[in-house]
Amino acid sequence: MAEDCNALSDEAFRRLFRDWVQANCPPHLRNMRKQRPLFGEVADWYRALAQKGWLAPTWPKEHGGMGLTPAKHIIYVEEWGRLGCPRIPDHGIGLVGPLLIQYGTPEQKAHYLPRILSGEDVWCQGYSEPNAGSDLASLRTAAVREGDVFIVNGQKIWTTLAHGANWMFVLVRTDRTAKVRQNGISVLLLDLKSPGVRIRPIANLRGETDFCEVFLDDVRVPAENLVGELDRGWTVAKSVLGHERIFLGAPTRPEYALGRLERLAEARGAFADRAFVSRYARLRLDVYDLASAFERFANVLRRGGELGADVSMLKILATELYQRITEEMLTIAGEEARFADDLEAGNEQIDAMNLFLDSRAPAIFGGANEIQKNILAKAVLGLPG
Amino acid sequence: MPRAIIDDADGTLALLRQSATQFAARHDGPSGLRSKRAQESDIDRQTWTAMAEAGWTGLLLPESLGGAGLGLGEQAVLSEALGYALVAEPLALVCVPAAILLANAPPSPERTRLAAGLASGDRVVVPAWQDPTITIGRDAAGLVLNGDLRFVDGARSATDFLLVVAGVEGAMLLSVPADQPGLSVLSRPGVDGAAISSLSFSACRVATDRVLDRRDSREMLLRGPLLQARLALAAELAGIACGALDRTVDYSKTRVQFGKPIASFQAIQHRLVEMWMDAELACAALVRAVERLSAGDGQEAHLAVLAAKARAGDAAVSIGRRAVHLHGAMGYTDECAIGLYLKRALNLSAAFGQPESLRLEFVARERAA
Repeated sequence: MAEDCNALSDEAFRRLFRDWVQANCPPHLRNMRKQRPLFGEVADWYRALAQKGWLAPTWPKEHGGMGLTPAKHIIYVEEWGRLGCPRIPDHGIGLVGPLLIQYGTPEQKAHYLPRILSGEDVWCQGYSEPNAGSDLASLRTAAVREGDVFIVNGQKIWTTLAHGANWMFVLVRTDRTAKVRQNGISVLLLDLKSPGVRIRPIANLRGETDFCEVFLDDVRVPAENLVGELDRGWTVAKSVLGHERIFLGAPTRPEYALGRLERLAEARGAFADRAFVSRYARLRLDVYDLASAFERFANVLRRGGELGADVSMLKILATELYQRITEEMLTIAGEEARFADDLEAGNEQIDAMNLFLDSRAPAIFGGANEIQKNILAKAVLGLPG
Repeated sequence: MPRAIIDDADGTLALLRQSATQFAARHDGPSGLRSKRAQESDIDRQTWTAMAEAGWTGLLLPESLGGAGLGLGEQAVLSEALGYALVAEPLALVCVPAAILLANAPPSPERTRLAAGLASGDRVVVPAWQDPTITIGRDAAGLVLNGDLRFVDGARSATDFLLVVAGVEGAMLLSVPADQPGLSVLSRPGVDGAAISSLSFSACRVATDRVLDRRDSREMLLRGPLLQARLALAAELAGIACGALDRTVDYSKTRVQFGKPIASFQAIQHRLVEMWMDAELACAALVRAVERLSAGDGQEAHLAVLAAKARAGDAAVSIGRRAVHLHGAMGYTDECAIGLYLKRALNLSAAFGQPESLRLEFVARERAA
């Protein structure tokens, strides 16, 4: 790779990245309505990034990544969002890569990492189960060692983009007798083309199929596909997300929704309505202050520090704010809020209902907001259990 | 537990925070407010003198005028720490705008005298500008004032007033001695116990050498003082929010019902977390305002200060409300200090622009740009 991005000033890197994205992210993929496109829908963008060497911002350079510092990574993510680039199937880049780089064997790294960068392997994340959602540690999908394979039986659910993936990294129970439930869980790399795997997409409230059920019946997984130590998968899984946790609470989504609300309000003359302006002002200031709070945590990273559990507050604030903004869109839509399709706003279409429905999800996934509050109560305020 | 994290390369802010905390240990905030209420006063002279000795009454005044010559980062840290301990002398309400009004005025002997008195604590120099119904006439001896100014803090203790008034000659900054004939002070009890006053002028004569500054409009005189005062109030309110939060967290860990500390119940835990998030947001908004205003007083600074004052006011009041509730019946007693946090928050949140009007001003400003 030609540039050492970390050596550039923040502004120079921002410009470099923005200019390149402007020139190379296909226009028809910008500001896609679809939140989670499949690999095939965004393959051109994925490959353009891969060719430039900019697909994996945080992977070390020796593994084909950019090796960006957290400060530069924040810029990368901010510009990506601002320029309306589509989300790519990023479980391989964001989760499997860091997992293998930290815990993988040399053979695992050599085999899987290049295949992620080339797009040959598309990964999904097998965590939640029908009876293990917020209480993930109660998961029951079992892996039993038989010779040099694990036999896996069970069911995963809410597996995002499983129907577009060919591999899944999966949390399985390898010791049913462990006294502490978090012990006895392991991480396996599972080939979704294996016999015994059945994937059923699930339609969501927006009528899209972002997530799936994955049924596993006597699936044979080679023992060498274990990542990290046997029965220590909980620690492995938890440690993968480092500074990236800040992005769960990025102000990007609320900012985008607020922009849409403003367009709708302008087109409908709502800014002449004092009651609306009062409600809008509250939302506007909430977005503004969320950005201030995001900066507070970003500064921790810029100064070389590590994020604590307190960063979860951003996730709660950002997701609830996104919801409230979309609710306001439906309020000013009046009786038109009865429709499923988009609203006219001058010469634009505003997908108010689509955003309202979309905003239901982030408050639930990645640890429901109530779970985040439980964590904050213990880890930050030191409240008794 | 939350704090504003402001760049502090040489550690001066940490030292200042430490001395404010030590100060609060010697000058108990809640009892100070209670004695103001009992005495119908607005400034505690003993505490005030100690603050002047610490350099705080003239913190923002340039050294050339006898002040400490410190910046708004220092003021924010100080106000936040005093708010945290509920030490309620009106530094943000009185000293900050007075210092900036004087610093912005052209040199004059009167300015020098007032600035020196403000910094040393020998004089209590109190700005007054709100809700003016003042008319300014002239006679052979100088100006003649008639009318009222409202919402003046520290007026009962003032030695001098700094009036920001406007007439046909434009806007001016006037210095008026507190014992000037024709000036009367009418006080009402503030919600937190400190008196708030109106100044009433009836054929009050002011010599022309007491005109400290002249501009085209009151807004031009008030722009800087108001920005800085709102910022300091945001800091004090953020401190009040954090202080009320910490007291409530501590209380809920020790209060036992059903055989357990009430802090172990999820309903209580989630409320406390929500209060903590509001306090964190207030601190983050404050930091942004300090950074923006330090970089200049343009649009970005205005927006950031409006946001910080609105956020900190809302946070302090709403945390105060929930804190009272979580203290149970104890919280509803006058004896328990948590109610004083709520009352002080109510007072300061409504001062110099309450949150709703600040938010509307923010939006109007941003959309006009």
